Amino acid sequence: MTETLAPPADRLRVRDVDLEIVRRGRGRTLLFLHGFHPLNPDARFLERLSREAAVLAPSHPGFGASSRPEDFETVYDLVHLYSELIDGLRDDKVTLVGASFGGWLAAEIAALRPHQLDRLVLVDALGLKLGDRETQDILDIFNTHPDTVRRESWHDPDRDAPDFDAMSDEALTRHARDWEALSLYGWEPYMYNPRLKRWLGRIALPTLVLWGASDGVVAPDYGRRYAALIPGARFALVDGAGHHPEREQPDALADHILDFLDR
Amino acid sequence: MDAWWMCEVPYPHVPQSVLDATDSVRASLPNRWCDPRIAADLFEQAIDHYLLCDDMGLNIVATEHHAGINSLLGANPMLVSILARQTRKARILSLGTLVSLRREPVRIAEEYATADVISRGRLELGFVKSGGSEMASANANPVNNIERYWEAIDLIEKALTHQDGPFSWEGKHFTHRHVNIWPRPWQERFRMWAATGDPHTAAEVGRRGMVHTLVLRGHDGTKRAYAAYRKARVEAGLPPVSTDNFAYSAFISVGDTDEEGQRVGEKLLWFLNTSLKSAPQYAQLLPGTAPPHIAGQAWRTRPKPQSSGPNLVNAEKGVATAQENAMKLVSMTVEQAMAQGLLFAGNPDSVYAQIKKFHDDVGGFGHLNMLGRTGFVTHAESEKNIRLFGKEVLPRLKEIAPAMPALEAAA
Repeated sequence: MTETLAPPADRLRVRDVDLEIVRRGRGRTLLFLHGFHPLNPDARFLERLSREAAVLAPSHPGFGASSRPEDFETVYDLVHLYSELIDGLRDDKVTLVGASFGGWLAAEIAALRPHQLDRLVLVDALGLKLGDRETQDILDIFNTHPDTVRRESWHDPDRDAPDFDAMSDEALTRHARDWEALSLYGWEPYMYNPRLKRWLGRIALPTLVLWGASDGVVAPDYGRRYAALIPGARFALVDGAGHHPEREQPDALADHILDFLDR
Repeated sequence: MDAWWMCEVPYPHVPQSVLDATDSVRASLPNRWCDPRIAADLFEQAIDHYLLCDDMGLNIVATEHHAGINSLLGANPMLVSILARQTRKARILSLGTLVSLRREPVRIAEEYATADVISRGRLELGFVKSGGSEMASANANPVNNIERYWEAIDLIEKALTHQDGPFSWEGKHFTHRHVNIWPRPWQERFRMWAATGDPHTAAEVGRRGMVHTLVLRGHDGTKRAYAAYRKARVEAGLPPVSTDNFAYSAFISVGDTDEEGQRVGEKLLWFLNTSLKSAPQYAQLLPGTAPPHIAGQAWRTRPKPQSSGPNLVNAEKGVATAQENAMKLVSMTVEQAMAQGLLFAGNPDSVYAQIKKFHDDVGGFGHLNMLGRTGFVTHAESEKNIRLFGKEVLPRLKEIAPAMPALEAAA
């Protein structure tokens, strides 16, 4: 892969991984870890955050135009990669925001290295097994008909779901690359780490858990239970959003986060 | 040439209205539509056909597919073990346990060793990559499927040949610290087979010298895959192999007359036009089954406008995805299937002539896998097919000796 996102997309090398990364804004460092797909550099959500923070938004290895070394294929690898990225920032504390799959990564990193973070925000985060063994908490986006996945993912699919027929070849290639990497990292156990729940109590830092009120991929009640496992975490719904509030309600989501950062 | 009978034991007895209404006849069709009493009859008939083949001088093949009307053989080793006991002469090819779906290759080696001993050394080992709806059925990650496939084959092969006490395997996908199977197999070495139409995998099959099987790939796909096999051997500095290293699988229907052979042969196309129906999440949208620049195009709901550039799927010359291949097969007619070498049908003379021509066109193969029963082909029609083929066609095929094709013909 040689194509890069349009400016201000940039590259960042962490060991042998060449990451595509969006950098924008000034102020406190805010690391955003994306969900099923990276956000575009001109995404409204990143632009809003960048008014009050120096936003770093990398594409995970294998997503977008980020490289993925051949033996880099687990959440364990991702957690170490982002830990090293945070070490390299030389900030005392970093604000960590993760959405969906990236929320899982953010929770893992926060449980491992709470002392390096000043705030944690989880948005429709994956990563836990909460229901009984015969109840899937997280919609199986790989084994479910795409029409159902579309319907469950968005508050207003007709307005917000991607139109694949309108996408360029390059955008579709990126989409397929994301899909493959997501499957590699999250296929089994499906989108969770059975050990993570035990360690969420280590997250001794101000935490906000936000959830799309219409999320059919992973329901708001999962989010409430997620928040209850993190000491002192607050929970709030984002109206008019499904699993991707950063795309469907970027302003409302940014308002929630910026308000939380000001406290 | 040797001939092998292959039956996937399909289950066609689901009401057409149900098949029409469902988006997938594999993986997600509820098993309440499978009546175990009908399934028992189908298994009994299929095993009878295998025993008849044993009498008629055909070898036999047992495949594996999961959770669909296309095949009830989800547990390949169960059928292989029955055939190992009940047949007397035939070589038995397991094609195969789907090794990238199973968690314990050592257990597969135990199953194979046991069947080999029971059959007193008549087992041959075939390996199929699997894919599609079987990734869902087996909870198997599709992205690194091919890595698991080769690692499992390596571990199974070592477990079947190592005779010096426990060895340890700490691979990328499989770990087993104490491998020492009993019984050890009857055969010191197994002939190994692999079925793939994908030239990348075919090259590795070639380097390993396995018997390379093409299933319903027609002239061009078969020639291309055989060529990839031979080319990979040349490039690796390995000696050339004879046509005995190649196999082809096709529908075959032999009748007393051309009309009868083709009439029954048409029923075999059920496999193509009914049993391949698969929902997009199990097929073209399954992660990792095609390179991203090709896989991305599958997300379009409408064909891409011609004006906006080349068709990337066709631009990747020589590499048809399994799904692309399947789409071409769904609406096939008897005439098309015969013209493309997917179906050999007619009276014994016609069938022999069709096979011989196809054989010569693709550069030769030493093994013909006969797909003689799918869909609504009856028990009696299947028996007649086996008898006519075994009596009238097989003796002539046996006269085709293994050959070393000239290199320019292979390229």
